[in-house]
Amino acid sequence: MSQDDLKLFKEFAGQNGDYYADKFLQIQKSILPRTHINYAALLGSFVWAGLRGNWLLFTIGFVIDLVAMVNLALFFKYAEKASEYIGQDDKIYLLDRYDGWSSNHLLMAVLTFVLGRILFAWFADRFYANQYARWRTDEKTPSSFVLSRLVIVAVVSALILPLTIYRSTQFVPEQRACIKQDRLIESGEQVPFKDRFNCAVMGEFPTLIWIDRPDTINYRKDDSGQYVEIRTPAREGAPPFNLNKYMSQTIDDGIQYATIFYGSIFDQITAFLNSMLNAIEAVFVGTPWPVTMLVLVFIAYKMAGRRTAIFAAASLFYLAIFDFWQTAMDTMSLVVASTIICTIVGLPLGIWVGKSDRGNSITTPILDVMQTIPSFVYLLPAIAFFSIGKPPAILATVIFAMPPMVRLTALGIKHVPENTKEAALAFGANPRQLLTKVELPLALPSIMAGMNQVVMMSLAMVVIAAFIGAGGMGFIVVEALNNAETGRGLLAGFGIALLAMMIDSVVQKANKIRD
Amino acid sequence: MSIDESDRRSDVVVCNNVWKIFGARASEAMEAVKKDNLSKAEVLERFEYVVGVRDVSINVGEGEVFCIMGLSGSGKSTLVRHINRLIEPTHGEILINGTNVGGLGAEDLREMRANQIGMVFQNMALLPHRTVRDNIAFSLELRNVDAFTRSEIADKMIGLVSLQGYGDRLPADLSGGMQQRVGLARAMAADPDILLMDEPFSALDPLIRRGLQDEFLDLSKTMKKTTLFITHDLDEAIRMGSRIAIMKDGEIVQIGTPEKIVTEPADDYVADFVAGISKLKLIFAHTVMQPVEQYEKEVKKLPALDKCPQATPDDDLDTLVGVSVGQDNPIVIMSDSKPVGIVTKDALLRGIQGEV
Repeated sequence: MSQDDLKLFKEFAGQNGDYYADKFLQIQKSILPRTHINYAALLGSFVWAGLRGNWLLFTIGFVIDLVAMVNLALFFKYAEKASEYIGQDDKIYLLDRYDGWSSNHLLMAVLTFVLGRILFAWFADRFYANQYARWRTDEKTPSSFVLSRLVIVAVVSALILPLTIYRSTQFVPEQRACIKQDRLIESGEQVPFKDRFNCAVMGEFPTLIWIDRPDTINYRKDDSGQYVEIRTPAREGAPPFNLNKYMSQTIDDGIQYATIFYGSIFDQITAFLNSMLNAIEAVFVGTPWPVTMLVLVFIAYKMAGRRTAIFAAASLFYLAIFDFWQTAMDTMSLVVASTIICTIVGLPLGIWVGKSDRGNSITTPILDVMQTIPSFVYLLPAIAFFSIGKPPAILATVIFAMPPMVRLTALGIKHVPENTKEAALAFGANPRQLLTKVELPLALPSIMAGMNQVVMMSLAMVVIAAFIGAGGMGFIVVEALNNAETGRGLLAGFGIALLAMMIDSVVQKANKIRD
Repeated sequence: MSIDESDRRSDVVVCNNVWKIFGARASEAMEAVKKDNLSKAEVLERFEYVVGVRDVSINVGEGEVFCIMGLSGSGKSTLVRHINRLIEPTHGEILINGTNVGGLGAEDLREMRANQIGMVFQNMALLPHRTVRDNIAFSLELRNVDAFTRSEIADKMIGLVSLQGYGDRLPADLSGGMQQRVGLARAMAADPDILLMDEPFSALDPLIRRGLQDEFLDLSKTMKKTTLFITHDLDEAIRMGSRIAIMKDGEIVQIGTPEKIVTEPADDYVADFVAGISKLKLIFAHTVMQPVEQYEKEVKKLPALDKCPQATPDDDLDTLVGVSVGQDNPIVIMSDSKPVGIVTKDALLRGIQGEV
């Protein structure tokens, strides 16, 4: 280790340069004693880290001390609460409870503080050496000991510590109590500052916007058969709405309007879905079970080989022997229907997304939302527009299961090598030929992966859609949930799993064989 | 092999002052470049645009193998993509058999690409899901030729590139060299007048490359396709090309026959390239010989003709070395059974060094 390095160590550390130069040298030589701790860090904690400009250590030290202080505050809070019940024999359980909590928090406070500080001091020089390494490559990394950093330390502490610790000494007011308090203030009554302060900064975010209760809107048919809007004003003195309630009401009104005046559109969609489903059900449910079973096993054999066919046969046998045959075929029909719709809609959409930047930027956020919204949420609008039954279940399933079709089709199209497309153009391909003879065939593996995803997700959603009357295997599970029939529910659940694994292995094997 | 400007046949491909500047407002940059005569680096600095091709004019005659040589980034691939308009020029015109390519409508352009121009790519760019036969027939399929005719033509092409028995295989089953034969067969399937070969053999290992070069030379002699052959390898350019254009930074530095490029490099850049090239087959007796009178004046009286090794003016240095081995007398160059020049051992050695 040259003198230059030692000089750099000292230049970096500033104050107490000799000490840090020595420690960094030991760290680089790997001879720093295992038990070495930095006493300045032990005493100064996050203040030391702040002065040294190590904001990672500052955060760690700050959190350690904050947790210790919060626990200390909780100790005092519960100790005080417990003292209220001393001597009240009928409330002895409350005394025990709060006493227990308070001693727990005291223990936590002491443990956090002692162990946390020691750990902090142990890490201090080692982290500080990392900061030195960063400083060597990036000169903007904070270095040396700068007193003005105390200002930052003070500001952060002032912003966080008092309010957080104060909150730990108080019992959080309920939202109802705060709303009541708001009313009182509005009617001119005096409320202690402490209560107002507690409502403003603790618990739920304070309600900033109050909106007058809107009219209730209903529609009736008049004599000529036309719908007439009937507005009922809110009753006198009814409390106003907050933003959540107001928006919910507005959305409900909108849906009501749409279902009444554009109901025929939804009816037609329902009718279309019903007839499509009927056709598919005629195949799966209407065909006698020996035929369906044989055909399914034969398809599995043709597409994916013997082993998968045996597995499929075993799965189908399980479903049959446990009386799930009809329900399972019901579920299969739903899955097939939604897969068909997903493909018909998703494939062109995916091609568009894959080829056009604009399509990509429009659909990406929509697909993100579609994939992140919890699946149960899709059931609500489906019920609102299409009421309950199988058609809304299919629609909810389609919305839930379509994103991977679009995504993977687009991915496949995007990954067609530029030079292959160029070659096709060089031989005089027109856009349609480019798509059908080059891009789609090359994207096919990706598209098939998308189809597989769609099938799997459809199956998952069809089970959930049993809540809105999709029937099938999901219905047995929902029923079992409601009636606490654990055994029956588990049997059906296993059946669903077998169904999923069967379809998945057939599709995947088929893809592999084709490749 | 040499084609002089005078005996050139009719031009099939003509590029007149072709420019390509990559960027959203290329024509604006073009104006500035013309006005201030900016260099490639200056355009990059001022507009952040890349000058791909800079004022290139070439004529390629019928049946000629015209090599475009340059290092990567010199604009040679960009230039050749102008010819079938995979890239639109910023300025200038391209004529194919007298038709202005820039003026064609979408359908006419596709027609021309399918019928008149075949292209071979460095990375083959075959369709992995199609058999060799279907790959070769791809351009025919695009033109809606019926399946029977397609397969007939494809089989003929398969024979032409010696891939008999591989017609029903997928490209992945073939080696790199075989795949490029498929690429070549595909380019020729529609019987185009023009072949664009974009570094076709660069990705292959040297032995296979050599073999394919020879095969292509044979083919091109019989098929008489006008070929634009791109390469970054001067050896290859010299082997393949009847003329060579050397490109640097989008500009053509020199156009000429291989011999001319080697013996009279236009500037230091070309000279650097040429330095390592073997001249044995590129330089001919007429370039290194000196007149008989000069020899007799400066050295000594010429010995009797039958005691001297003899050669013709069109023999290359390789041949001259062959006839000169084991002989003490200088080589007499004979034309119409008259001595027209003398090549001394010194001149021969200098010639091999490239100094004439």
